[in-house]
Amino acid sequence: MEEQILRLPAEQLFQNEIDALIAAEKHPVPAGWNMSPQSVKTYICGGEVNGTKITPKYIGHERLVEIAISTLVTDRALLLTGEPGTAKSWLSEHLTAAINGCSTKVVQGTAGTTEEQVKYSWNYAMLVAKGPSVEAMLKSPVFNAMETGTIARVEEISRCASEVQDALISLLSEKRISVPELALEVPAKKGFSVIATANTRDKGVNEMSAALKRRFNIVILPAPANLESEMEIVKTRVSQLSENLDLNASLPEEDVIEKVCTIFRELRNGETLDRKQKVKGTSGVLSTAEAISLLCNSMALAGSFGNGIVSDTDLASALQGAVIKDEEKDNMAWKEYLENIMKKRGSEWSGLYMACKDLSGE
Amino acid sequence: MDNPNFFGIRHLSPAGAYYLRCFLDIKQPELVLVEGPSDFNDILKDITRKETKPPIAVLAYTKEVPVRTILYPFAEYSPEYQAILWCEENNTRLRFIDLPSSTFLALPERCPLYAEGEEGRTSVYMELDKICGSGGHETFWERTLEQAESLEAYHKGAKNFGANLRSLTEGREDNWAETVLREAYMRQQIKDAVNSGIKPENIVVVTGSYHVEGLKNWQDSNEDFKGMPETEAVHTLMPYSYYRLSTRSGYGAGNKAPAYYSLLWEGFKRNEPGYSSYSYLVKLAAYMRKTGNPVSAASVIEAVRLAEALAMLRDGSRPALCDLRDAAITCIGEGSFTAISLGTADTEIGTAIGTLPDGVIRTSIQDDFYRQLNKLKLEKYRSPVCQDIMLDLRENRRVKSEAAAFIDLHRSFFLHQLRILNTSFAAQQKTNQDNATWQEHWMLQWTPEAEIALVESALKGDTVAGAASFEMKERVENATSMGQIALVIEDACYCGMETAAVYATKALQRMTVDTISVEDLAETAQRLSVIIQYGNIRKADPEPFQPMLSQIFYRACLVLEGACICDDTASQIIISAIGKLDSTELAHDFLDTEEWLKTLSNIARHDNLNTKLSGFAAAILLERGSLDTDSLRTEVSRRLSAGTPADLGAGWFEGLAMKNKYALIARLSLWESLNIYLTTLEDEEFKRALVFLRRAFSGFSAAEKDEIAENLGEILGLDGRETSEAVNTVLDESSQEIIDSLGDFDFDF
Repeated sequence: MEEQILRLPAEQLFQNEIDALIAAEKHPVPAGWNMSPQSVKTYICGGEVNGTKITPKYIGHERLVEIAISTLVTDRALLLTGEPGTAKSWLSEHLTAAINGCSTKVVQGTAGTTEEQVKYSWNYAMLVAKGPSVEAMLKSPVFNAMETGTIARVEEISRCASEVQDALISLLSEKRISVPELALEVPAKKGFSVIATANTRDKGVNEMSAALKRRFNIVILPAPANLESEMEIVKTRVSQLSENLDLNASLPEEDVIEKVCTIFRELRNGETLDRKQKVKGTSGVLSTAEAISLLCNSMALAGSFGNGIVSDTDLASALQGAVIKDEEKDNMAWKEYLENIMKKRGSEWSGLYMACKDLSGE
Repeated sequence: MDNPNFFGIRHLSPAGAYYLRCFLDIKQPELVLVEGPSDFNDILKDITRKETKPPIAVLAYTKEVPVRTILYPFAEYSPEYQAILWCEENNTRLRFIDLPSSTFLALPERCPLYAEGEEGRTSVYMELDKICGSGGHETFWERTLEQAESLEAYHKGAKNFGANLRSLTEGREDNWAETVLREAYMRQQIKDAVNSGIKPENIVVVTGSYHVEGLKNWQDSNEDFKGMPETEAVHTLMPYSYYRLSTRSGYGAGNKAPAYYSLLWEGFKRNEPGYSSYSYLVKLAAYMRKTGNPVSAASVIEAVRLAEALAMLRDGSRPALCDLRDAAITCIGEGSFTAISLGTADTEIGTAIGTLPDGVIRTSIQDDFYRQLNKLKLEKYRSPVCQDIMLDLRENRRVKSEAAAFIDLHRSFFLHQLRILNTSFAAQQKTNQDNATWQEHWMLQWTPEAEIALVESALKGDTVAGAASFEMKERVENATSMGQIALVIEDACYCGMETAAVYATKALQRMTVDTISVEDLAETAQRLSVIIQYGNIRKADPEPFQPMLSQIFYRACLVLEGACICDDTASQIIISAIGKLDSTELAHDFLDTEEWLKTLSNIARHDNLNTKLSGFAAAILLERGSLDTDSLRTEVSRRLSAGTPADLGAGWFEGLAMKNKYALIARLSLWESLNIYLTTLEDEEFKRALVFLRRAFSGFSAAEKDEIAENLGEILGLDGRETSEAVNTVLDESSQEIIDSLGDFDFDF
């Protein structure tokens, strides 16, 4: 059955690494945690324990990982914010996987999320038949986490309506949940905390109240600091994903990854990497996550309709799809980039330039 | 024989200062030897005076120009400073044992003090950074040594650190030769001390931990230091600032956060290890609140807890500065550093500056500076924070004493004197008045750099005014053009220093006799003119300058005609000179108007000069009513007659058109002459004339062109409005090309 699952949770994917870290534990382990903060950091940032290689899950900005872990040690809730595609959910998933061995207590924040989904709701058939009872109660992931002393995740918290956000405030400050229907007060066990993620740039999000922000330690995840670390991230993730997805194509060459990352960074920052030329930006964010999916996309194209090697044509169509979101404006920006920057980059880039130019219809 | 007790330190280290005191308490030495220039011993008594508040620095400087300086800063938490205090309290002798500053200043390449300059060991520190991970060696040092739990831990740790650093870098540094020399000297000093009869175990030697290894073999010392280079050097105490400590302390060991380090020191004194952590965060929060950002006490508590958790993650017992700052960013700044950056600057660096009691050896110029600050009520500006001051130079009639009535004027004199001396204390800002002149806007900021610049000026004079006057005298002597001297005269008036002004005026007179540059003469005349016109606001007596101006002006009249034989490029300069001279002449009655007009009419009339200048001179005469319409018409037809080369004729017209265009527009006869001239031209000639005339008319505005068009309409019998439209339209592409091609025309055939 397991092969049928599209995407395994982190704790199952990296089971052996977690086991190795727990076996080699040398530091004190906080109450409710599976391993020490130091081991959590090794799990996230990579390293080696007793011969088992720990793959790095979050590359660059190790200090931010330390701050995130320390926040959870102090039983404060953690809010990860940043632009789209800066690995907020990814980091949150891996933190819970390492700390609790369970990354699945998740509330997916949407505009339609209700307060019940954060606290608890009822099995109405049972409620009508037997009246209010603990059995008739449907506990939310947050409720579960409080009872078990583990960490709950709230994804996209800024997409929730403000009353739903407010529901979290008292949960986080009181650290207990009350069920007036049953005259019940459930205190959180040691180890309970919440990791929330929020987008800073997307449209259609709700402003977070200052009261809620005060309950969180806020860590802003930046885009990768330089080309090298971004390439490293892309390479690692693409190879992991292509294994999972059976893409039937060989991994893209180093120079292909470099080209994609260069284009993305330049369009994102509005200037060339050497900072000598200004570049018109695009309406989309062009995050690292998008670069990863773009490369997987072109691998899929190459695997299914090509010879299994990512060609310039595959890359060009994927690039165009990623860059041009808002038809008119982005199209202009992309053409300008092609002519002013890419064309002048010399022979290594000429293949990709020709392919992009052909595709853009002139 | 036993070794003396070596105590290796890091130069600005609270833990070092604290444990050094403990060490001294235990050892109760007879003599303490400290790494520091051996000729500084005389300032010890001033350092220990009650009124002396660190940060302070000892500044040594050469007595000859170019002035070279070296600085020895002390903070309250400097181990050396605490050693000095301890010795004072315990009646123990203390001596500096490093090379005397006179030798330091004579060494070829001036190196940062204590030889821990960043340059030499950058690579090592970079390696250290890599090993230490985030935070670098700075954090490493803080975690290992500043948080040392006991005297033994610090003593041993510093020794090992120094020894390891040494084994990594020995011989590879840029200033290695200097280090060798210094250590040899220090060894000899130790040996001398022992030879004088003090038992080695009763001596404590306090040096940078790096040097401990180098001083071990003091017994073998048998060197002769007679041949050491030496220069005449003087030293003085000066106040210092935390800001300066943080930016360039000259130590490789660095001290980026002096205010935070003073919190560490406070913690040691109170015997409260956690003191620095929470007081850092509390101070930061207080600063944030003061600047209008509410920070709850709960956030501060959370930040303390987070900082502790971060330290734990690194196996540290207490948070280091980077932990505290990151915790503050997360809990107080909501994740962004920019939100708290001002607060961190205040809590980490701080604005503290040191003070020295009155009469403590300062150079006399420093004394004068502080006296003046006091007298002019400028003392509150002696602060490392930049402050504005607006000066109103006019007499304040509402106060009684004269000193009070003109206090702003005297402030202005003083600040201008400081400006002449290139001290950074006062910077003049622009006001919306141009030449005049009763208001001045200054930015004042006291920095150790300003003080150093002041001390460097000590060679020039004993008072600020004296040094400024010396400086101006030097500038006069080195001046190569009149403009430079005129500038000095102007400065002297700004500084209220008449004698200097008169001195410079005499020099100016000598130079005038030989000057033939109209440009210089005109420039100087204009400067003097401004002084004479507006000088009285600064109580400058115009009397001595008037004959000077007359002389310069007359000289200018004499050489001007000769200067008008020049090419078109030079003519631009001459035109601006003529303009300046003309306005100067208009401003002063005592100048020889007749001579000036005669000169101008000569220039206007003579044919051998640059025609543009002739035209310009004619324009001025026209403006001043010295050229009647008849003569103008004659002149126009003469200049623009057939047979005169087109470039000369049109050039003349261009010059004429540069001044007072309305005077031209109003004279219909002029345009008639121009029209006649153009019709007489051959095609080729016309093309050439066109280029010049186009340039002449480019300076006219649309409205002016409109009026010319009306004139032309009158002459040619056309409708004025249509003509105007034709004149004012922007050229289309084809016409532009034709015109451009004319630009390539070869005029030399």
